[in-house]
Amino acid sequence: MKKKVLAVVLGTAMTVSLMACGSKDVKVAETSEEKIYTVGISQFAEHGSLDNCREGFIEGLKEAGLEEGKNLKVEVKNAAADQGTAKQISDVFVSDKVDLICGIATPSAQAAYNSAMNTDIPVIYTAVTDPKAAKLADAEGMPAGEVTGTSDQLPIKEQLEMIREVLPDAKKIGILYTTSEVNSVSAIETYEKLAEDYGFTIVKKGVSQTADISLATDEILGGVDCLTNLTDNTVVNSLATILDKANEKKIPVFGSEIEQVKLGCVAAQGLDYIELGKQTGKMAAEVLKGEKKASEMKYETISKPGLYINTEAAKNLGITLDEEFVNSAVESFDSI
Amino acid sequence: MDIFVTILEQGLIYGILALGVYITYKILDFPDLTVDGSFPLGAAVTATMITNGVNPYLTIPVSFLAGVAAGVCTGLIHVKCKVRDLLSGIIMMTALWTINLRLAGTANVPIFGDDNIFDNDLVNKVFSGSLASYKALIIVLVIAAVSKIVLDLYLKTKSGLLLRAVGDNANLVTSLAKDQGNVKILGLAIANGLVALAGCVFCQEQRVFEISSGTGAIVIGLASVIIGTSLFKNIRFFNATAAVLIGSVIYKACVAAALKFFEPQDMKLITAVLFLIILVIGMDRKKKVKKNA
Repeated sequence: MKKKVLAVVLGTAMTVSLMACGSKDVKVAETSEEKIYTVGISQFAEHGSLDNCREGFIEGLKEAGLEEGKNLKVEVKNAAADQGTAKQISDVFVSDKVDLICGIATPSAQAAYNSAMNTDIPVIYTAVTDPKAAKLADAEGMPAGEVTGTSDQLPIKEQLEMIREVLPDAKKIGILYTTSEVNSVSAIETYEKLAEDYGFTIVKKGVSQTADISLATDEILGGVDCLTNLTDNTVVNSLATILDKANEKKIPVFGSEIEQVKLGCVAAQGLDYIELGKQTGKMAAEVLKGEKKASEMKYETISKPGLYINTEAAKNLGITLDEEFVNSAVESFDSI
Repeated sequence: MDIFVTILEQGLIYGILALGVYITYKILDFPDLTVDGSFPLGAAVTATMITNGVNPYLTIPVSFLAGVAAGVCTGLIHVKCKVRDLLSGIIMMTALWTINLRLAGTANVPIFGDDNIFDNDLVNKVFSGSLASYKALIIVLVIAAVSKIVLDLYLKTKSGLLLRAVGDNANLVTSLAKDQGNVKILGLAIANGLVALAGCVFCQEQRVFEISSGTGAIVIGLASVIIGTSLFKNIRFFNATAAVLIGSVIYKACVAAALKFFEPQDMKLITAVLFLIILVIGMDRKKKVKKNA
């Protein structure tokens, strides 16, 4: 009996404390004569870049005249990185008859497309690196159905140009990646295709989990002139380890987004996920207002990447940066 | 209404997995972590076959056999190499990660455009009109029911009785002049066959193979088995396998409830709380029985 009481008390306490934590107020749209749109956002996991995508998306809708609390109702669900849950989320959106589903990251985008396939609910995705490989778009980049969005493909050409600019004598670029991340594998293919044009060869090293990073870094640093990062989750989460080891050997590391440069990468031609989200939000607004059909819109990539530089990291490595180059940066940091 | 269809659909798919976990965890008393690898193994086999244009119905037996092979390997590692049960599962789970990646080619293989067991000319002809929205559920239900019934029948055969004996009283099996090692291998084979079958159905329902889909599969399986068997312990109408299937549906309903009413980041905690409450209800019943006895 005691046990049972304890369990019930514990259970209630857990639930109550959760409720007390104060979930965000669900903003119910005020009644007005205008049509109120409902948008279901299905986000695959809790992750800085994906969170930025989501915020940007809502921001983009707002800029296009669809504002939460006025003529827009947004429901955000997070699958906690579980594919089955992602499908469940989009199924619920379909049965709730939302006006549009936004899938953030590849598995959620695929699940949303799958759930909405036989309905007239359009799907807009973002942070899908390779919509063609994910079969959300055909070989020409046209949608596979009522599904379109934005890709967070890395600006690899610009990145290679930038590395050439900073390191005129470098020959070998090392890349660490996780073998199970499709996005990384496809980015490396592009790197290998383009590297020759800039006189580089790519040295790649795959890992399968965080625990392998340390060993893999030691190994790859032995044979390269610099490292460049992808948006590979496992690798980026262990960036501090990689930077430590690289700095010891005076090997520069280039990043792929602003956060990595803040942490101590020399420079990056990077994506701004908030901008990407905004771009996606504007596409969604066009579809919602009925101006365009999703199936008629080609998927988009970010219009122009931004250059981010960390001058302190460059100084520590003994690299002198061209002043003009530094001035062309969107943002430069002078501390690590 | 639709949400119940989704819950039943997903619950029954994971229910097939739970049937497998039931064999190892409840019958054999073997904590088998192979599941995290054999579930995506079924999915990888299925995705590869479907992208190569093989008839989708063939994926069902082939996935099952792939799972059987994985189970036999775990069994051999445990019985012949004398590695501890938990470790042999971990070894196979780790090995299967690579095997799955190699089989499928990449970590994410979409099969949107191709025929599958839920979407082909035959199925679409049979289920037309108002039945169309229930077709996936009906097909899943048939597969789950067939798996359950065949498993029930098997457990009543001589070989099935031996399997049950190994978990309860291994000495009895030895005294019957039977090799308990072989029986264990057989049990693991059937269990992982069922798990891979679940992976096969899951992959076709999701229309995508994703390497990460196996992560945590064992947790879902165990939760379903424990919820099912503890809730329906004393209800004669449901035998253990039926209880396990229903347990899986209840687990998915918990997830759906957590998704519906709470913030996403709280989901796992809510699921844990619901899980705990269900366990406590189950425990209460057991005590009453003891008192009455």
